[in-house]
Amino acid sequence: MSQAALMEAEQGTSLWADAWVRLKKNKLAVFGMSVVGFFVVVAILTPWLAPYAYEAQDLELGATPPSAAHWLGTDIFGRDLLTRIMYGGRVSLAVGIIATSVALVIGVAWGTVAGYVGGRTDAVMMRIVDALYALPFIIFIILLMVVFGRSMLLLFLAIGAVEWLTMARIVRGQVLTIRSQEFIEAARSMGLSTPHIMLRHVVPNSLGPIIVYATLTVPQVMLLEAFLSFLGLGIQPPQSSWGLLISYGAETMEDYPWLLIFPGLALSITLFALNFMGDGLRDALDPKASKD
Amino acid sequence: MLRFIGLRLLQAIPVLFTVITATFFLIRQAPGGPFDAEKPVIPAVKRALEAKYNLDLPMWQQYTNYLGDLLRGDMGPSFKYPGWAVHDLIISGLPATAELAFYALMVAIVIGVLAGVSAALKPNTARDYVPMSLAMIGICMPTFLLGPLLVLIFGFWLDWLPISGWGDLPGDKILPSFTLGAAYAAYVARLTRGGMLEIMSQDYIRTARAKGLPEHIVVIKHALRGGLIPTIAFLGPAFAGLLAGSFVVETIFQIPGLGRFYVQAAFNRDYTMILGTTIFLSTLIIVFNLLSDLLATWMNPKLRHQMSHRSGGQS
Repeated sequence: MSQAALMEAEQGTSLWADAWVRLKKNKLAVFGMSVVGFFVVVAILTPWLAPYAYEAQDLELGATPPSAAHWLGTDIFGRDLLTRIMYGGRVSLAVGIIATSVALVIGVAWGTVAGYVGGRTDAVMMRIVDALYALPFIIFIILLMVVFGRSMLLLFLAIGAVEWLTMARIVRGQVLTIRSQEFIEAARSMGLSTPHIMLRHVVPNSLGPIIVYATLTVPQVMLLEAFLSFLGLGIQPPQSSWGLLISYGAETMEDYPWLLIFPGLALSITLFALNFMGDGLRDALDPKASKD
Repeated sequence: MLRFIGLRLLQAIPVLFTVITATFFLIRQAPGGPFDAEKPVIPAVKRALEAKYNLDLPMWQQYTNYLGDLLRGDMGPSFKYPGWAVHDLIISGLPATAELAFYALMVAIVIGVLAGVSAALKPNTARDYVPMSLAMIGICMPTFLLGPLLVLIFGFWLDWLPISGWGDLPGDKILPSFTLGAAYAAYVARLTRGGMLEIMSQDYIRTARAKGLPEHIVVIKHALRGGLIPTIAFLGPAFAGLLAGSFVVETIFQIPGLGRFYVQAAFNRDYTMILGTTIFLSTLIIVFNLLSDLLATWMNPKLRHQMSHRSGGQS
């Protein structure tokens, strides 16, 4: 055997390199990732990219259909729709990412502890998750928004607090299979502390399903935010989000249909892209998981 | 089986109790009472009003009073609509919401199952790809966007269907029902396709075919029963989403249903109304979860067998 071949055999391919190869073959997933990437970059650079200032309005101009000066038209206050969609997208994406992170932290912590400690702790913790599953959460979130005022921070927390349940279940299942493997036993026999083993050995090895589920949670969360904003219970003016823009658009759609169609397109395309990206990641990272 | 039903019913009670208690205390934390209108009320009048509705009692006493009333089916008076009891308001909004939810469910099941079965019978052909791509669009198109778009196209541009109301004009129920049902039709189609694909490769389907049964009998009598289990298990949890969707659809199409009352009560800080509606809707959701669970269990021969032979305990 030549030296080069031996090197190659020794290196092998890591899970991540392997997954990356699979992901690149999936055209829909690559498309989804590019679209999501594009929207994220635009959202970050919005203050510099937006054609008009966020507060800029032109009451004399009023609502105009798309034109050279206003690519996507203007609303009844003469505000540039493209600018509003770009700023709204920042809020929508931020809600998606932050609320998912909240769900991620709670869910991973809960699932890891339950799965790794096991026994009675596990039983009690998972019973709590089961009980929370049975609660009608959509109604509860509306209630929270009513009671604590409609602040954005609360919206993040409320949505995140709802979405962690499935994450906890997935992580626990993953941890159960990992904790009985030899390398964990080895870590334990070396005298490493339980928190150390959990953080450095258990969590990194269940990262695949966690990433997949997190990617699929982002669109759900964005949908929830848009739903609440549409009802007037989510993001409040002067802040804006895609759900809020759709709600305004729906009010005046007979005369100014572009005010409904463009924000709607922005939301739908993003949700589409995120779902394709999530499906692709699942196929790449978790080949065993079946597609429904 | 009876034992299983009883056990599940018993499990529902603490959940319901939690919902009632949490809602009751949460709603009292709300800033701004029901009598803090735009026009400030004279303090003496406000105190009199609060005394009338027992809002001046200690919190625990209000709570126990409420629980007692609730057991008698009394949800108290509405704070915002004087002279109306909450349960009267709920009952007046229920028919429209129930009808809407029923039609939407029909849309979801009929379109979803047909599309899913047809896709599963010819996988990886146009008959599979076209409906499944449409289903993906259906899932990514939120109700609050689909509704206005349908109104725009079929109401304003084509002028085929009425754009609002419920039972006032012929055909005014079509757009709301379809709007609410579309997303679920998409989910049902995907689940049915998955379920059917798995079943169609089972041995007992081959046996049925080997017996010389015509294909439609194999599909309808043998495959559907197993293939629909994931779909049925999905319908219970979907019901909660359907109710949430009805908040949106009722708002868009101005339907005088429960969802619209709920959203309005949320804006008005109508304590008793929010409390009553939350409890009512939660009960409905819990009951539906239970029903779909039981139905899915009953349809799955393996589980049914387990249930009748195992003595409760951990499930």
